[in-house]
Amino acid sequence: MAAIEAENLRRTYKQTSGFLRRRTKTIEAVRGIDFAVDEGELFGLLGPNGAGKTTTIKMLVTLLIPTSGTARVLGSDVVDDARTVRRKIGYVFGGDRGAYERLSGLDNLRYFSELYGVPPKVQKQRIPELLELVGLTGRERERVEGYSRGMRQRLHIARGLLHDPPVIVLDEPTIGLDPVGARELRHTIAELARAGKTVLLTTHYMYEADALCDRIAVIAKGEIVATGTPAHLKSAVADRTVIEIEAYGAPEDAIRRLRDAPGVTSVAVEDREHAQLLLVQAPQGSVLTQQLLGHLDGVRVGRVTAREPTLEDAYVSLVTEN
Amino acid sequence: MSVAVRNRMSYGRDQRLRQTLRIFFHGGYFSYRALFNWQSPRFYVPTMLAGPAFQVLFFAYLGRYSHVRDDAFYVVGNAVQVSGMSGVFGVAITVGGERWTQTLAPLLATPANRMALFLGRALPHIVNGFIVSAFGFAIGRLLLDFHPGLGTIPELAVVVLLSTTTCTAFGLVVGALGLRWRDVFTIANPAYFLMLLFCGVNIPLSALPKWMQVVGSGMPLTHGIAAARRVAHGASLSSVDGLIGKEALIGLCYFAAAYVLLRVFEAEGRRRATLELV
Ligand SMILES: Nc1ncnc2c1ncn2[C@@H]1O[C@H](COP(=O)(O)OP(=O)(O)O)[C@@H](O)[C@H]1O
Ligand SMILES: [Mg+2]
Repeated sequence: MAAIEAENLRRTYKQTSGFLRRRTKTIEAVRGIDFAVDEGELFGLLGPNGAGKTTTIKMLVTLLIPTSGTARVLGSDVVDDARTVRRKIGYVFGGDRGAYERLSGLDNLRYFSELYGVPPKVQKQRIPELLELVGLTGRERERVEGYSRGMRQRLHIARGLLHDPPVIVLDEPTIGLDPVGARELRHTIAELARAGKTVLLTTHYMYEADALCDRIAVIAKGEIVATGTPAHLKSAVADRTVIEIEAYGAPEDAIRRLRDAPGVTSVAVEDREHAQLLLVQAPQGSVLTQQLLGHLDGVRVGRVTAREPTLEDAYVSLVTEN
Repeated sequence: MSVAVRNRMSYGRDQRLRQTLRIFFHGGYFSYRALFNWQSPRFYVPTMLAGPAFQVLFFAYLGRYSHVRDDAFYVVGNAVQVSGMSGVFGVAITVGGERWTQTLAPLLATPANRMALFLGRALPHIVNGFIVSAFGFAIGRLLLDFHPGLGTIPELAVVVLLSTTTCTAFGLVVGALGLRWRDVFTIANPAYFLMLLFCGVNIPLSALPKWMQVVGSGMPLTHGIAAARRVAHGASLSSVDGLIGKEALIGLCYFAAAYVLLRVFEAEGRRRATLELV
């Protein structure tokens, strides 16, 4: 049995605007996705902002009802058997809100222990263990309002583990953390997987998914566009070249011309401080740099380099080509 | 860490009951500290003691000035109603405040029994409301012409505790509405003054237009205040059992309404994403 299964899972949001003439807009946040996470697996749901990651997670933790399709956690349906699902799953969300500011970290954990029905004797043993795991030992009696972003994030993790759930979902857990804090957090997540937990993680950082996950599903605009191991995803672009062009003020239509140029598979634009970096992907040997520059006629161009594709490029091509 | 798993397997009815009771009592206590910011003396003294004391004095002197009723009438009415400071504002904040702290998502992601979770939040406010009322009575005793017999005090306390409880149930309804419609204060403020007008606090219900009497008879405190006035004049509890019964019944209705509203809003939130769950 898979730890998490989603079948044709779909969720729309209805937004009404206007006072007298009410208009209803339907937003297709998740458009019928399928995936399965095996027990003990560390699975990544990777996608840009607005791809539908949080919506998917909220359906799995029973906070949102799917518009259609089904999802099960260790065999329990997230709608019909919501209470069982809540006992089996630990939910950790990103960002620094969501704890009771006026309570100490310890009291936050004690309160949620009660809500998860953890008996007092077990609490006495587990809460210090979890504080140790997330590195909050010694600070647990301070009010959360004085906690740094990283400490709050780590408190969220401890809270998600209070009832010792076999399945843990983390929604962008490293968002807003400094590099050192993020690295420590990733270390903690890896440790959870090593301890036998099933972990589902969402992120919009390719390298994070690469470093942590056994398998990745790439989600874009509410649809899963690829699933596989990091190596497998990378092999999809293995036969390509990436040409990086530094440009100054390239207009939209120049970029469009580049995108439509024969042989070019994708063009991603990254804005740098003074320049734009155009990342052009093309099959190896299919285009000459000279030809590409021809499409940028009149645009001031800086350094041009060609290199091997990375996993990041695989991700960019998956998200932009679909 | 598999202790919990084993515990869950051997989950008796007993243990589940114990868990629910712990959510009710301990959970109520934590939520009070977590969400109610009037615990520190800096907030508690002005809002829970000074404000109510001024309300009691204001209406008693207004009554003296207009020669309508004696001090006791105003002291009892207002001392019971000031429990709304806790029972309406306090409770509404501990329920509706989940929106500000953005803790609704983790809260509703727990399997906790919702009845215990939400009704447990009322408990500390019942106790606090009783203290606020007692202080109101003490002000009346010390500064005004209010001198109930010593023997009436225990019976008066019973009526006041019941009224505080009913008022708190009403506050849960207000909190539930606030949770759904964004701001608790826009609902709690009018609710408090609504009670001042419709519950016979300063104006006997019989002096109000018919429709106001109808509204008043369905409000919390109305029957409790009437009972408290008689008991303070020396009537026995059994002689006001009709009023007490009605007050208790109204309280139960508000508790039930609050529970149903919170469940409906939770279900609606999951369906329509209306509670802005994160
Ligand atoms: N409560 C909501 N009401 C309306 N639209 C929403 C709501 N929540 C999310 N959306 C929209 O649904 C899409 C997916 O959002 P989300 O699941 O939060 O994406 P992600 O977590 O991957 O950034 C986005 O277009 C977002 O604007
Ligand atoms: Mg998100």
